[in-house]
Amino acid sequence: MIVNESVLSLGISLIALFFAGFLATKVNQSLTAVFIVVGMILQNFFPVTIITEFIATLGIIFMLFMFGLEFSVGSLVNNQRKIFFNGVYDLLFNFPLGMFLGWILGYDLIQTLLFAGIIYVTSSVIVAKSIIDLKRSANPETEYILNILIFEDMFIAAFLACIVGVVNYGHIDTKGMLLVMLKTAAFFLFFIILSRTAKKIIDKVVDIEHTELFIILILSIIVLSAGAASQIGLSEAIGAFLAGLLLSETRQRHRISEAIKPFQQFSTAIFFVTFGMSIDYKHAGSLIPIGIFIFVVSSFSKVFGGYFVGKKYALSKRACLRLGFSLIPRGEFSIILAGTIAMNTNVPYPVKSLTGVYVLLSAILGSILMKESDWFVKNFFESKGKEFQPLGRHSAKD
Amino acid sequence: MSEIKESELPGIGKKFTLELDSGDKLVVVIHSSGEREVFKFIQDNDEPASVTTLADEEARQIGAILSGTYFQPVIEEAQKLTMKNATMEWIKIAPDSALANKRIEELDIRKKTGVSITTIIRGESVIPNPHSGEIIKPQDTIIIIGGNDQIKNFISTFEIKHRLENDRQ
Repeated sequence: MIVNESVLSLGISLIALFFAGFLATKVNQSLTAVFIVVGMILQNFFPVTIITEFIATLGIIFMLFMFGLEFSVGSLVNNQRKIFFNGVYDLLFNFPLGMFLGWILGYDLIQTLLFAGIIYVTSSVIVAKSIIDLKRSANPETEYILNILIFEDMFIAAFLACIVGVVNYGHIDTKGMLLVMLKTAAFFLFFIILSRTAKKIIDKVVDIEHTELFIILILSIIVLSAGAASQIGLSEAIGAFLAGLLLSETRQRHRISEAIKPFQQFSTAIFFVTFGMSIDYKHAGSLIPIGIFIFVVSSFSKVFGGYFVGKKYALSKRACLRLGFSLIPRGEFSIILAGTIAMNTNVPYPVKSLTGVYVLLSAILGSILMKESDWFVKNFFESKGKEFQPLGRHSAKD
Repeated sequence: MSEIKESELPGIGKKFTLELDSGDKLVVVIHSSGEREVFKFIQDNDEPASVTTLADEEARQIGAILSGTYFQPVIEEAQKLTMKNATMEWIKIAPDSALANKRIEELDIRKKTGVSITTIIRGESVIPNPHSGEIIKPQDTIIIIGGNDQIKNFISTFEIKHRLENDRQ
């Protein structure tokens, strides 16, 4: 009776998620972190079943789809230079650091690259939510934060496609790398051309009144794109992401988002639980010191990177630091990176478990640091009485 | 008038910045959820001095008040003054009317009588500010505006029989 048991365990997981999530929202904590903790606890009671594993896969697909759907191609095009410059700056500050850390931890090349991505990518979900909660959406630094997040997300989407491609290819050599890059580029290009040339047709095709048929059509587009990507050896997630981008410019965008959101919320929650369940419970304890170390080092590099981006636009010291601190929280994308690829766990610090610890630390502490960045400014960067000095000149637009 | 700077906040919404004459800044953020936030920044300060959060409906009400559509003390008086001597008339066009099947420009109504056609109601459709090339058809209702004398003049000039005294249908 495998089916019955797994249905029951799914039900238990969901109710556990509800109560944990309920408590989390009371103290305004990130749901991602809490869901992972729920998974870590639940692994003591039942194993990951085929059903949860399947839903978790859908979770990644839907998450990336929503991501593409809500991705603002318009602002990417309008602010491309700013986004590119700031994004590259942030990349150079943080990605090599991650590779260095991965090398120290004794990972192989794939794991090192993956780890660099995990360390590098800030959680746009947590950061955007915190910005709104902290009433900072009108602050001068916010635009730069969001620009950096756009670049990171775009970069990680392409990165994910490439790295899954390399893993599927089997081993790393020049030919394989080139092949994967070509495949990824061709796949991206196909979707971009499709969205440019067939915009009107797509708009018409998805304009279906009937609710049920509409959902089925949208689901088929998502799953087919994911399947096509997987068929040519890329990540399913990237197929879904591009499907999202493709549909993001249709007039039905809002309706699509509304229709898919419940699927996404459900399956993504299960994905985080499944991830939590795969974290080695006994190992996690010994990973905490190294997790803290990595958190501190990577937070420093994020803050410095952000600080210099802010300085370039002549923001005030406070704004620069708020910018830097706002890049600390890691979340969903780090988990996706660690969760999509089955990895050799026979290393001193298994990537999955370490990522779990790291994301928990940075999601929880990161949002607190974001809130308290002014405290740091007051205590470390400003001597008393300097507070009302005219703050740096800035303009909202470049 | 001050220039309003508009910028996008991907994942959050849109931001509008208005530099006030006082040197302070007023920033409106419209969230994708429909919620509006109004921030006030004093001088060059980079943290808001105040934040007001408005739901969609509240924002519309405040907007109407600010734009003066809710309550317009000065302009309303002016309106009454002009309306004292001006009249709007709804006129049904009979098939045998002097106006029927003519282009507005060839009727030369404004020059002859001083009256302007503001709207043509044709069955279900309404043509506001009709073009001078528009043809008035039988069964149309036209709305004209003019001084009381001008309206009288219009009615006698074109021998109008069907006046619909403020009867909109």
